Amino acid sequence: MAKVTIKVNGKNYTKAVEDRMLLVDLLRDELKLTGTHVGCDTSQCGCCTVHIDGRAVKSCSMLAAQANGASIVTIEGMAKKGKLHPIQRAFSECHGLQCGFCTPGMIMATAGLLKDNPNPTDEQIYKGLEGNLCRCTGYINIVKAVKMSAKLLRGKKH
Amino acid sequence: MSAKAHDHHDPVGRVEDARLVTGAGTFAADWNVPGQLHGYFVRSDRAHAEIVAVNVEEALKHPGVKAVVTGADAVHAGYVKPMHALNFPGKGGMQTRAPERPVLAHTGVHFVGEAVALVVAESAEAAQDAAERVEVRYRDLPAVVSPEEALAQGAPQLHENVPNNLALEVEVGDAAAVEAAFARAAHVTRLKVEVTRVAPNPMEPRAYIAAYDARADSYTLHVCCQGITTLRRHLSVYTGVPEEKLHFEVGDVGGGFGQRTPAYPEHGALMLAARQTGRPVRWVSTRAEGIACDTHGRANVIEGALALDREGRFTAMRLDWVNDMGAYLSPGSMGHIRNTSTCMTGVYRIPALYATYRVALTNTNPVSSYRGAGRPDIAYTVERLVSQAAVDLEMDAAELRRRNLIPREAFPYKTPTGSTYENADLPGLLEKALKLADWKGYAKRRAQTERSGKLRGIGIATVIENTGAGQAPKDEIELELDAGGTVTVYTVSKSQGHSHETTLAMIVAGALELPLERVRVRQCALEKQNLIGGHTGGSRTTVGAGSVCHLAAKKLIEHGRPAAALELGVEPSQVEYAKGVYRSKESKRAVKLGDIARAKPVSVIAEGKFGSTFPNGCHIAEVEIDPGTGAAVIASYCAVDDIGTVVNHTVVEGQLHGGVAQGAGQILGEKVVYDRDSGQLLTGSFMDYYMPRAGLLPAIRGAEHPTPSAVSPLGVKGVGESGCTGSLPAVANAVMDALAPLGIGHLDMPLTPARVWHAIHAARKGND
Amino acid sequence: MYALNYVKAKSLREATAFIARNPEAKLLAGGMTLIPTLKQRLARPTHVVDIANLPELRGIAAKGGKLVIGAGTRHHEVATSAAVRKAIPALSGLAAEIGDPQVRNRGTIGGSLANNDPAADYPAAVLGLAATVVTTQRSIAADDFFQGLFATALEEGEVIVRVEFPLPKRAAYSKFHHPASGYAMAGVFIAQTAGGVRVAVTGAGPGVFRWTAAEAALAKSFSSAALEGLPLDASGLNNDIHADREYRANLVRVMAKRALAKLSGRK
Repeated sequence: MAKVTIKVNGKNYTKAVEDRMLLVDLLRDELKLTGTHVGCDTSQCGCCTVHIDGRAVKSCSMLAAQANGASIVTIEGMAKKGKLHPIQRAFSECHGLQCGFCTPGMIMATAGLLKDNPNPTDEQIYKGLEGNLCRCTGYINIVKAVKMSAKLLRGKKH
Repeated sequence: MSAKAHDHHDPVGRVEDARLVTGAGTFAADWNVPGQLHGYFVRSDRAHAEIVAVNVEEALKHPGVKAVVTGADAVHAGYVKPMHALNFPGKGGMQTRAPERPVLAHTGVHFVGEAVALVVAESAEAAQDAAERVEVRYRDLPAVVSPEEALAQGAPQLHENVPNNLALEVEVGDAAAVEAAFARAAHVTRLKVEVTRVAPNPMEPRAYIAAYDARADSYTLHVCCQGITTLRRHLSVYTGVPEEKLHFEVGDVGGGFGQRTPAYPEHGALMLAARQTGRPVRWVSTRAEGIACDTHGRANVIEGALALDREGRFTAMRLDWVNDMGAYLSPGSMGHIRNTSTCMTGVYRIPALYATYRVALTNTNPVSSYRGAGRPDIAYTVERLVSQAAVDLEMDAAELRRRNLIPREAFPYKTPTGSTYENADLPGLLEKALKLADWKGYAKRRAQTERSGKLRGIGIATVIENTGAGQAPKDEIELELDAGGTVTVYTVSKSQGHSHETTLAMIVAGALELPLERVRVRQCALEKQNLIGGHTGGSRTTVGAGSVCHLAAKKLIEHGRPAAALELGVEPSQVEYAKGVYRSKESKRAVKLGDIARAKPVSVIAEGKFGSTFPNGCHIAEVEIDPGTGAAVIASYCAVDDIGTVVNHTVVEGQLHGGVAQGAGQILGEKVVYDRDSGQLLTGSFMDYYMPRAGLLPAIRGAEHPTPSAVSPLGVKGVGESGCTGSLPAVANAVMDALAPLGIGHLDMPLTPARVWHAIHAARKGND
Repeated sequence: MYALNYVKAKSLREATAFIARNPEAKLLAGGMTLIPTLKQRLARPTHVVDIANLPELRGIAAKGGKLVIGAGTRHHEVATSAAVRKAIPALSGLAAEIGDPQVRNRGTIGGSLANNDPAADYPAAVLGLAATVVTTQRSIAADDFFQGLFATALEEGEVIVRVEFPLPKRAAYSKFHHPASGYAMAGVFIAQTAGGVRVAVTGAGPGVFRWTAAEAALAKSFSSAALEGLPLDASGLNNDIHADREYRANLVRVMAKRALAKLSGRK
């Protein structure tokens, strides 16, 4: 058994879990944060994307134990006090989601992309979303949402 | 029909978005119920074998294991005969031969991944660990994965009651007339095309929880599905459990595309497990299971021939289909025959038609509906024939189409296969698309691409498809009004990304003239499962359930009029309703809609049965091909669509994007591949199964060209599937157009870099 | 995955001692290969020993005519490092194309090299630049390190500590992405090194290899014309449903030409 202490969305947790438990399962099953989704087995779909210590990662490809001591942000941590994060707003306004299953991962990947590159070109957006699959939207509105997010974030003071 | 229903601005953002962008949706794997156990399926690792023995003793000893359900249990319970939907008159009176399929394989397995046993344990890990201790002894049999080979003499036989693996043979049209026309024809274009087998791959893997109530002898299933009525009917037939004893809980559903419509063996196996253990049993599928065992789509081989006269007019068409249905007939598998024959002529006047269908069973995963369910297949076949004919006759691809389109005055148009197209302006649609795509300016763009060392092609597709209708006898919608003036809309259809919570609410809010926030939609509510209606599929919900929403709203207004009249002290005929309020000129007072529900909630049910609508479109794609690698890139995509009246433009546009991407993905890379000899699945994960990514489709220039539809009070035409019906032929025609100058003829999808490069390489070598 | 035990190493010495005592243990760095492997139940180690973030394995430094990258350095760090971009821009470009952004935030160069996936990118750079793989036991020249399908010269319990890249005069990498997996269907790394031209090919064969005919031709005339009609034995190349040998051989030629074009500043 592994004792895992992590901070998730600003809150500290300590959980005793099997060593083989994946981070995504800790988040979903132990912490009941089911916004992070599992969409594949080969670490390709990106539905499980969260941020660990400020970097976007696939939580299905990490043991919970590897995240011991880390600070994690999931989709549930993006809105602040009931106010949507600009990226969440942008996805909704641009109709960048239909069924919503890939959306949390897509939003977390977008946050990671825009942190590294606040003003990406279309090509850079395609590349930045290479780790995320969507079956519903055809991606066109997702790309629009990323561009709108970039604009909103550039207009904000941090 | 009230124009006011559509006199609105599309709301920015959808009702669904608030929970979906914050991760607060409840998808199937997000459900847990108290006392649940966990299931793990033992699946066949071979394509065709007799099951000699299944030994579960060791597995049962594994810590945490509560039960192991096997094929013997399935047979004992009578869960053996699924419904099938191949209810077509067969050639020479042939009846469909449907194999039995116990929910867990009992005497034999017929495809890799077929479920053989279900291990049930206290944890998912324990169930998976224990599953490795289930011993299955097989006696291997030769496998066949190609439908043509399956139908040939000497092929391995899958099922005793399906000789030659031929489940059904159907013919449609007039063979003699076609033969005569071919004899007279000035030119005949022939093509053999394959519409590949693909995996729909919605992003949410399946997950179910089955619970059994011993006192009521009933089952409650938490599922992801496309609506409960079809699923319930299928499951009832499959298990013998009466429909009123099957209840469903459905939350958010992460995509469906037709794959989630039917009942699966897994539903039945979990029901057995729940009954056996007395506890709810939960199962979450992996993606590998999904690619292997969730129904596949398309999988047709067509030999087509198109006859033309000297003026380039189509005089006849003959199509001979081989439909690969996989190892068993899925309940959702009628589209390949129904939808392809309904719109066989496409948008053209073709006086003589004849088609044959041979439905084959193979040692592969069963095939069912996938976005379009046959409509993209027939559109692809016809449009490839037409574009090839244009090449043969050295005629402009648009001009050949123009010459053969059904003219406006011919509508309603009765096709040679007996269907009637309601309404379309095909010539206008074509001209609009050509203008939008700057068809005339193409030569310049091609020259520019060629200067950069690449090849460029332009592909056009003009398509029509039948949508709406559906199998349910009618659609019912219940509206419940509370004293606060909020209206709840109950439907048994289920959006899997279709935005119904927004569009159905818009329809009701529009008709009631209320702000959108006062209307909320509840789909498949547990307490409202007796409503009659279709599932969401076949692009039918807005036409069907949506129209009934409109009717229900009108009915609610009428229902409240007498009560309002009483309060206002006037005759009902003197009461007017507008913007949520009943008024009369005689009285200064007003009665709010909610007031009529002051004593208790008011409920009305409306119903309607609407027929098929015929959306149509002209899609034009341009591709650039890198001859060094064979990689094709979509340089531009234009779509002009007639989808009738539009409730929400943003939603419709999104549906178009998604559909176009799925068609483009199939043309450029998707394909389920089985090894010819062993029947092993070679594309079992996203490592090997190509999925479209951002950048595949840079943008779509779209326009609408509506013609009214009187089929429903809303005047809408179903749109969910039209994207891929257009893109499958448009993208393929574009690639073939790029390669044609090299003397390359038809190439089958997927037009992968390797396939395209080989064609270019061979052509260039041939030209040396 | 199968049950296992997770151990976090406090130092490299502790890690090597642990795996010496527990031969069925596996090292875990980024986990981008190991975790998916474990999830598929394709391996059953008794322990996974977490060596990510060990200070002995971290760091990027240009010193003494060499670029030294710690084995635990993430792909993202190599891709965005000013030092790498200055010393060997082709290497930062290669790292920027590995996998996808999330993978690049976790995967490490040491993990990639130790695994030696035939379609991985780093092997092409290490072989193409004649780098040295420095382990807990010795220094291994690139030409000796890669030994075929998922096989390297590493002994039991030997751990990669850092990779030392001599600075080339010029280098470039061009890769054709596998449409599904994103790995290299063919990736060619060309470098003008102190020891001459080197052409390393990944993705096309059972392991990274040097296209010696191309090296000889380019040594005589460093131009894409020199690559025309060069022999490339396709018989040893990979053959699967996505790409047959002939197509892969073509990709090798085309990627080589495009790498050359990048070198001279032409696209």
